Amino acid sequence: MDGPGGIDLSAAIAAPGQSPGAISIDIKSVKKRYPATANSAGIVALDDVSLTVKSGEVVVIIGPSGSGKSTLLRTINALEKIDSGTIVVNGDVVTNKATDLPAFRSKVGMVFQHFNLFLHKTAMENVILPQVAVKRRSRAEAEANAGKFLAKVGMLERANNYPSQLSGGQQQRVAIARALAMNPQVMLFDEATSALDPETVGGVLDLMRELAGEGMTMVVVTHEMHFAREVADRVVFMDAGAIVEMGTPEQVFRNAQSERTRKFLSLVG
Amino acid sequence: MIGQFLDFLGADLAHYWKIAAAVMPALLKGFVETLKLALVGILWGSFLGGTLGILRGQHIRVATPLIGAYLHLLRGTPFLVQLYVIYFVLPNTGYSWLQWDSQTAAFVSLGIYTSSYVTEIVSGAIRAIPRGQWEGAFALGFNRLKTLRLIILPQSIGLILPALGGVYVTLIKATSIVSVVGIVELMRQADISIVRFPGDILYIYFLAGALYFAFCFPVLMIVGRLEERSKNGRMVRA
Ligand SMILES: Nc1ncnc2c1ncn2[C@@H]1O[C@H](COP(=O)(O)OP(=O)(O)O)[C@@H](O)[C@H]1O
Ligand SMILES: [Mg+2]
Repeated sequence: MDGPGGIDLSAAIAAPGQSPGAISIDIKSVKKRYPATANSAGIVALDDVSLTVKSGEVVVIIGPSGSGKSTLLRTINALEKIDSGTIVVNGDVVTNKATDLPAFRSKVGMVFQHFNLFLHKTAMENVILPQVAVKRRSRAEAEANAGKFLAKVGMLERANNYPSQLSGGQQQRVAIARALAMNPQVMLFDEATSALDPETVGGVLDLMRELAGEGMTMVVVTHEMHFAREVADRVVFMDAGAIVEMGTPEQVFRNAQSERTRKFLSLVG
Repeated sequence: MIGQFLDFLGADLAHYWKIAAAVMPALLKGFVETLKLALVGILWGSFLGGTLGILRGQHIRVATPLIGAYLHLLRGTPFLVQLYVIYFVLPNTGYSWLQWDSQTAAFVSLGIYTSSYVTEIVSGAIRAIPRGQWEGAFALGFNRLKTLRLIILPQSIGLILPALGGVYVTLIKATSIVSVVGIVELMRQADISIVRFPGDILYIYFLAGALYFAFCFPVLMIVGRLEERSKNGRMVRA
């Protein structure tokens, strides 16, 4: 199921059995078109996109609004169906009809712009419930785990608060704890800080930086260029449904080959 | 003068007692029949409506438009017409399993009538839950059923319960209509009693009304309680 090897990074949260450097996410020639509806013409959201992410790698996707970043991220855990191409994540062929998608998704953590915490559950229950309902862990084990990850994101004192009683930044940290408690092999972040008050952005970015340092495989869509420059192993620039440029932060930020990339970077500073 | 008035009142009270004693056994028998009709209608109508509502609350290719048509048909026609179709028209189709006695026809039509309202309530409540709740659950590996059971329905219930109370009361009152297919429920018993005591129309209707109220009021109370309870332990705004 996982890659060969089984080298355990001492500090890594990443599932055991993934050797760093092996291919974790393999996206090949993916095309995705949103069909026309009553109030919108059809749109090509992904136009022949290919991307591989190695185990332990942090790939940051940047690009203007509407360029297909979210769509690409959401195809990785099959929240969005694709028209053609293949996607393989740690041996699971996501695009294969026979794949048990819920079981697969439980191995991929996703963090949303608007958190999507369960509104009728406390922070603690938000972290416990998926472990019990999906991973079939005992309540006691799930509780211990939840405590551990809430402490990691600095939210243990607020464990008994409902989402409506937490700030955006606090909710997002609980959402990250909830995803981590499932022991994901990969974490996907879709503009995790875009909906936050400026003063809470830093805490969430620090947490993401910490995860990256622990060897988590991450695909991060963000407008935080500092974060991209600092944390990314690779930066991907998307425009109009296609990957226009890809390389180390140095290559993309200092030495972009495409005019479109340079223009975008000059606009976002 | 005052003595005269008291005499008059005394005579009147005695008269009311006499009438009540005479008609109450019949009214109570009718009340039991009404109770039965309402309970059966509520139970299976809620089951059918709950199922259809859960289907309609999601976007399912065939089910959603089909259920929509079912709702339009039921909500766009009077209950009396539905009852007539079920009792008088269906038997003419010639299928033996559609030949129902009046009580079965009443049960079926009351349940279908209830289901049309319950379907709308349940599907509306499900659609009122933000899309992100589904996505958050899916991304964690919940399947559709688990998401419904653990995430969506618990959040919808606070919207469903108060609306159900209104529907159930509407249904209890609608049971009075099924007397037209020969069911002797509370309203029909009242009419029969009036033939016996034509001088006390108003009073007999008052007694029947009191019995309906005695049924409807607790229903509203219970649903109100449940609503309160489902709100506690839910979101408390900081
Ligand atoms: N559910 C949808 N239905 C139709 N069009 C969509 C849908 N989601 C996104 N799109 C369109 O697809 C394109 C890419 O969207 P998205 O992936 O959200 O871009 P980004 O995340 O880079 O802002 C946009 O033009 C957007 O309007
Ligand atoms: Mg987006």
